[in-house]
Amino acid sequence: MKRLFITALSFLFASAVFAQEIEDHDNMLMDHGGGHLMDMGGGMVMGQNLDTLPGGCDKIAATKEITVHAGHKYAKKFPGRMFAFDVQEYQFEPCTKLTVHFINEDHVRHQWMMHGLPGYLYPKGMFHLEVTGPGKVSGTLILPPGDKTYLVHCDLAQHMEKGMKGQLKVGKGSGDLPSIPGVTEFVVQDDYSGAIPEKLSYNQPSKSSSAKEAAAKKQPASGDSFISGVMVVGLAVGLLVAPFLAKKFKGMTAAEVAAYVFELIKETINFTVQLVNSLIKKLSSGKAS
Amino acid sequence: MQKYPLLVLLSGFVALMSVTASAAVNLPKTVKIEPDKPEAVCPKGNAEWREATKIEGVEIQESLRCHPDNPAQVAIEVKGTNNVSMDTLMDTYYAADAITKTNDMDGDGDPDHIIIKLEVTELNGHSPDFNGVVPTFDIAPGIEPGMWVFAPKSRGMATRSFVGLEANPLLRMPSPPIRVEQGDVVWIVLENTHYFPHTIHLHGVDHPWIDSSGEGNDGVPQTSDKFVLPGQSKTYEIRPRQPGTFVYHCHVQTHVHLAMGLVGMFIVEENRPNNWVQTFNVGGGQVRHPSKAVLEEYDSEYDLHYHAMDKELHNIIQKYNDPRLIARDMNRRYDMTDSTEDYHVLNGRSFPYTLRESIIVAEPNKKIKTRMFNSSGELLAIHTHGHKGTITHYDGVEHNPDAQVMRDVYDLAPAQRNDIMLSTADDGLHSYGEGIWIFHDHREKGITTDGMNPGGNVSAVVYKKYLSEDGLPKGIGENIMPLFTKAFHARNFPVWQDIDEWNSLGAVDATGFKNPPPAVPLMVKGPMTLAEAKRNQAKSANGGNNSFRNFLVGLMLGIFAYIVVINREKIIALISSKKGEA
Repeated sequence: MKRLFITALSFLFASAVFAQEIEDHDNMLMDHGGGHLMDMGGGMVMGQNLDTLPGGCDKIAATKEITVHAGHKYAKKFPGRMFAFDVQEYQFEPCTKLTVHFINEDHVRHQWMMHGLPGYLYPKGMFHLEVTGPGKVSGTLILPPGDKTYLVHCDLAQHMEKGMKGQLKVGKGSGDLPSIPGVTEFVVQDDYSGAIPEKLSYNQPSKSSSAKEAAAKKQPASGDSFISGVMVVGLAVGLLVAPFLAKKFKGMTAAEVAAYVFELIKETINFTVQLVNSLIKKLSSGKAS
Repeated sequence: MQKYPLLVLLSGFVALMSVTASAAVNLPKTVKIEPDKPEAVCPKGNAEWREATKIEGVEIQESLRCHPDNPAQVAIEVKGTNNVSMDTLMDTYYAADAITKTNDMDGDGDPDHIIIKLEVTELNGHSPDFNGVVPTFDIAPGIEPGMWVFAPKSRGMATRSFVGLEANPLLRMPSPPIRVEQGDVVWIVLENTHYFPHTIHLHGVDHPWIDSSGEGNDGVPQTSDKFVLPGQSKTYEIRPRQPGTFVYHCHVQTHVHLAMGLVGMFIVEENRPNNWVQTFNVGGGQVRHPSKAVLEEYDSEYDLHYHAMDKELHNIIQKYNDPRLIARDMNRRYDMTDSTEDYHVLNGRSFPYTLRESIIVAEPNKKIKTRMFNSSGELLAIHTHGHKGTITHYDGVEHNPDAQVMRDVYDLAPAQRNDIMLSTADDGLHSYGEGIWIFHDHREKGITTDGMNPGGNVSAVVYKKYLSEDGLPKGIGENIMPLFTKAFHARNFPVWQDIDEWNSLGAVDATGFKNPPPAVPLMVKGPMTLAEAKRNQAKSANGGNNSFRNFLVGLMLGIFAYIVVINREKIIALISSKKGEA
């Protein structure tokens, strides 16, 4: 509330600055009855209610005014959002008479639309302010009784999804709505894996270090392929053979070891070739008979 | 179990026998797939919209299709939102400042200063709140590719109502055909309501490269224009001197932005006195208030905008909410040179939905003007059944009347426009007589929806004689109801189910079915052919190789095991000594 109050105050001071560029639609609106006001410049109020008490309200509990700013620039503090209101959360006593001054600072349409109000008072259960910016439009409603959280948003395609969303709690509210910038998380989360930019460097080939990093990152991810069958076999063979080699090479120089290894490889190849030859001979003779 | 091994073995054998015996005589059975409940081919409602009428002094032609344009909407498109009553305005979704028409500068009875406001709308976009898309626009039952369109400036909610997610009728594919009059001063105001930068390029339309204030007017960021950023607006100023069928499209990352749907027809009508032209023809198809010049020569007019979509591109906006990730995938990861077009639409819909919106209604001995536009990435080959049309204009320029050609296949390069005169004179050349004559792309993938036929950009010229009261072709062919199910387009429904009384080409149910061993032919007569001999040889050679390899492996393993066993004590000693060390 304090924050809202400050916002309202700051608006009072700033209004002189805005007055130059922000078109005030409040005096242009024509009343079309049923709480519907509209002008030819795209300003619109729907569900205006100045004096009818909602059922369950004995009297107007309080009279409040808020100023809501809307626009692309208010999304700056929320990375990954494109449009936003300046304030995301409001809280009021039940049966408050609330006037909303909606200031759209973009050069396109925005809305401050509230859903879920009692349908007998508010057509389609909505209170709705709409104006093409830079412009201002104001509307008044009387909040219903009871603890409930109401969605306020801009209903232009993707504006709510991309950040222009808030919640208005009457009384204690009835919980939090999802995906309100800075307040609650998405229900359906984005996949940010792989969204780590590579460090670009054209002069110094720092390939090895980046490759190492990549390898280090990859290893835990590829858990199942780490202990592959071939690796296990290699490991077992290595374990079995290592002690023999250790014994054999005791006291040898590096050159001697190398010579010995080459000898061993030569013998192995010879043996395999002979074996294969003899086997083929055996098989072919077997087939012939 | 141990006690009766023989019994177990025997019973197993008997069981196996019975299976093989039954499988040997029966192939798997045919089952009938129950489709989901089909939609109504033409949902009821607003039947009175089909009648010819006059609203706000605007003559509105009858439109006998299933989904006709709202006459109040047409009246606004002709008069402008500033020249109609509040009641008429409230019958539509138009913003009060969507179309402003003022100033009859030449005193000929029609307004000459036209201000057109366009917003950028995402259809079938992502939601971070649930697993679904908003607001929805189905090109065919259950087919919802993500799309972007220029849309006339609307008011209120993006959805049709506060229940449901269906986009309001102004928010749809394609970007609407725009009509202005030759010589009008036209301001096109782009209000960028989208989360990416966009521009408008007026392709083929007479326009100065810079506007009156010296700012870029060509829409090309690399040469003339700054991006129109999210939340910003920009006015393009034109006064077109030449009439014709042209194009407008976004020129930012054009390869993908155009494909996403930011492209529409821009028609400059010839100047005539008292010529109020229909500024938007939302959804294309029939123009319910044709211009004076068109009515001098023709009885009716149709805008036919062909487009195609690669689902890999169009699904990107449904994958993420974060615009930065969408930009990354679309601008840097998506490679259009590897793309294939999956969805083929006419006026934003695929068959069978084209039947509701994009049929051409015909009567004998009439002349119909069609403007065909191809915004897909490939050459189109549109074929008209039952008619040979005359191409009167290419890319908005009239073809020499003496040299105009008649065709039944019209090839349209990407971005190309053909104005085609369809005559319904039954002379065996212009028309073969009354009927339901389809017209469609003759590249066969064009008549599919992601490869499923029937689908794609098929529509029909329907003679009134064959048109039902609710605007549908009275076909005498096969039942088209299954095409109006999501199951069909999700490939779950056999295309030929129930074509005869015992469903001989229905779906196979092979649950629990196992092929028995193949039969062995009784005898082989005559010598083997060379091919057969070779096949046999290859087979045995393969077999030999395999067993030889297996044998070698076995041998090696054996030797290894032998060595291990021989040296087991040493190994154990070694291991234990090593253990001790550790």
